[in-house]
Amino acid sequence: MTKFFALLAILLAGTTLFYGLTQQSALVLRQEKQDNHWIRNGTQTSGSYRGNAWVASPTRQTYGGFRGGGSGAGK
Amino acid sequence: MSSSPKTQHTAQFLDPFTYLTLLSAVAVFVCLVLSPIFMRSLVSKTIPVDPNVPEQLAPIQLKKEPIGALRIDVSATISDNHWVTYEIQLKDQQGQVIASGIKQAWRESGTWSEEGESGIWTEDDLVGGLDVRPTKEEPITIVLDVLEYTDISGKEIDQPVPFEVSVVNGAVDTRYLWTGLLGATFLAFLAILVTPFSGKVILDKSIGDSDIGGRGILGGAKNLIRVTVKIKSDEHSPRSLTVLLVINDGNGEQLYSNRHPVHLSFNKSEGGKVTSAKGTLTTFFILEPRSSYGFHVEVTPDITVDRTRLIVRDHCKTLFPVSVILLKSTQ
Repeated sequence: MTKFFALLAILLAGTTLFYGLTQQSALVLRQEKQDNHWIRNGTQTSGSYRGNAWVASPTRQTYGGFRGGGSGAGK
Repeated sequence: MSSSPKTQHTAQFLDPFTYLTLLSAVAVFVCLVLSPIFMRSLVSKTIPVDPNVPEQLAPIQLKKEPIGALRIDVSATISDNHWVTYEIQLKDQQGQVIASGIKQAWRESGTWSEEGESGIWTEDDLVGGLDVRPTKEEPITIVLDVLEYTDISGKEIDQPVPFEVSVVNGAVDTRYLWTGLLGATFLAFLAILVTPFSGKVILDKSIGDSDIGGRGILGGAKNLIRVTVKIKSDEHSPRSLTVLLVINDGNGEQLYSNRHPVHLSFNKSEGGKVTSAKGTLTTFFILEPRSSYGFHVEVTPDITVDRTRLIVRDHCKTLFPVSVILLKSTQ
């Protein structure tokens, strides 16, 4: 049983260390494929790569609809 | 014929896998603690940005790093009940945008009242950030652009928004490390929990009395045997009971006979009255050679004893070094 836990723990530690240290979640510049991109602090990318050129997304033009993020109700 | 019992304090039965699980958690923890040492701050300043007038920072040389990424963190400073949508852009030498991210930041406050109580609440979400990994070395320029700045009524505000900008190279994604730490710690906790139950159960007998015994084939060199005696006792229990543990070999010869005091822990009702008590005795043996051995337990004084359970496991692993009683059958 502890063998199983040890195996799981080593796999988990190894994967998370690899992903964390090599920043697999970062946006890879000039790369069309973004397999592991994971946004930080709710900052959405406003475009994507076509080849290695950045093309602003169509929704970039419609950002104007933002009406605040709060629930408004508070507590 | 009875051999005098030799006792040995040994660490040779520690479970290596339990410690490996713990080590994994420790490794992730150490990386989490050490991750800031990979970071080098490139920019840390506050700049005001006028709505719809993109503001450029000084160019930065991008370098490929084996560890971490380039992290751009931006925090908007706005007053209560204001919203701001801003964009972080990365431009290359030719002035082309090569990456951009939009953050919708807000700060709101108001009053609340509930069941006669009232107060003021404030909530905000102001920090935006991009992590980027370069694929080639090149100078880039970070640009901040306020796309929209309004109050909650939707009225445009034409004032500069101060942004705290921090650019760091070699930033590690600690979200993964936290996941790894939590997961590995949980697994280590489980491993620690199950280690005392390792090995094969050879005997597991329970009786509503104070005397119990059984026989099984077990033992051999480098085979740790864990004998557990669990006692349930009633409300008139003394503070401690005595457990006589006897081990006989295949010929019925007594190899071991010893009295162990067992302290009881008491269960109390809400009124503080003792309702029952329980106690556990755990002892470790190495029995040689592998053969049939009999185990016998007698709990005294027996008047309060409700239930006695005898569990014998072999091929056990332990969490800590333990005292082991070495017995050899001369049959």
